[in-house]
Amino acid sequence: MNERDLELLSSYLDGQLTPSDSARLESRLKSDGGLASTLDDLRAARTLLRQLPKRRAPRNFTLTRKMVGLNPPLPRSYPAFRFATVLATLLFFFTFGVNTLAPQLVQVPLFGMGGGAPDEPELFSAQAPALESAAATEAPAATEAPLESASDLAPLPTAMPPSADSARAVETPMTKVGEAENAGAADQPQVASEAPRPAPVIPSMWQSAFAVVAILGASLMALLRRSASNRWK
Amino acid sequence: MNEQALITDAQGGNLDAFNTLVLHYQDSVFNTALRILGDEDQAADASQEAFISAFKSITSFRGGSFKAWLMRTVTNACYDELRRQKRRPTTPLEPDTDDGEEMDSPRWLADPNMTPAQQAEADEVEHAIQHCLNNLPLEFKTVVVMADIQGMDYTEVAASIRVPLGTIKSRLARARLRLRECLQGFAELLPASYRLTTDITQ
Repeated sequence: MNERDLELLSSYLDGQLTPSDSARLESRLKSDGGLASTLDDLRAARTLLRQLPKRRAPRNFTLTRKMVGLNPPLPRSYPAFRFATVLATLLFFFTFGVNTLAPQLVQVPLFGMGGGAPDEPELFSAQAPALESAAATEAPAATEAPLESASDLAPLPTAMPPSADSARAVETPMTKVGEAENAGAADQPQVASEAPRPAPVIPSMWQSAFAVVAILGASLMALLRRSASNRWK
Repeated sequence: MNEQALITDAQGGNLDAFNTLVLHYQDSVFNTALRILGDEDQAADASQEAFISAFKSITSFRGGSFKAWLMRTVTNACYDELRRQKRRPTTPLEPDTDDGEEMDSPRWLADPNMTPAQQAEADEVEHAIQHCLNNLPLEFKTVVVMADIQGMDYTEVAASIRVPLGTIKSRLARARLRLRECLQGFAELLPASYRLTTDITQ
């Protein structure tokens, strides 16, 4: 039995031969006992296979949403909330960063402009109070010369009323100079004792608004997700 | 059951519509997997994987026979399972000798006849046929399971395993011949009307 005959017999069994091929094979089957016997065997094998008992599935294979990783359908407004929340969060951090960094960036040119020792007191006076007090604890010898020149340039106003702050200023020469300069420049004795704090570039009201929008948006998104998943259950 | 409407809904992400299709086809899918893998537990796992995979890729179904498309998914799942078994075999490939060493020649593996113990177990026609199916090469087994057990026509089988029609005819004929050879050993189990007539060894 060659492969070609076997293929013909198999296709004949399934009715896949053309009428002419079928007629030719049928005439051969009448004269060739071996061919007919093989056809019977193939038919018997095919019948056995077709009569194999059909097993029922041992369980239902229906899918759950978890199996296929489906998320509950969210309302159409959800992307808008998400966008607003993300934007407000970004803006909040941006404004926070701007307000923190802007004063330092403004001070940077001061380092380059003066270039000499005489400007150092002016630089110190513009810095934050913490830095000012830290500098004040340094060795007096290092700041002696500039202090003298600074006191020459900006003498203490005689009309300044005595206060606890001014008393403290006397204790440390460094603060004395800074306050003297501030008092001289602004000519306001009440403010002179406090360190100059630059106004924020972006008003804190905006920061608060961004924070509120971000928190509200995140809360709303969580609520929407929860209600959608509850509806799905 | 309006199959096309269910498929369209499932393509839109409707899991309930897909589950209706699952309930309709799960027995066919399971039987196909069972006959290819020869093990119920593995067949159940492969069927579940096939349905998950089918849902995830149902948008790729472009019409034609949904059953053929589903059968392709389950045969792929079966091939994956068989590959996994090859990577992590649970039984040694070669039997041990009495000394505990592996036999040099795996000729026992090629022996088409069952051992006496296996023979005793295969006391039912179904077991005998499954045994013969298990001895077939995978590509032959897939074709004969689809055509003769699932009753799919040649074009459906060709679409399902993506091979030309001529290849399907050839594989099916050779698969039936091999089954016939194998079933000769179970003549006494077969009903009289199905006894095989030719001794192919002659």
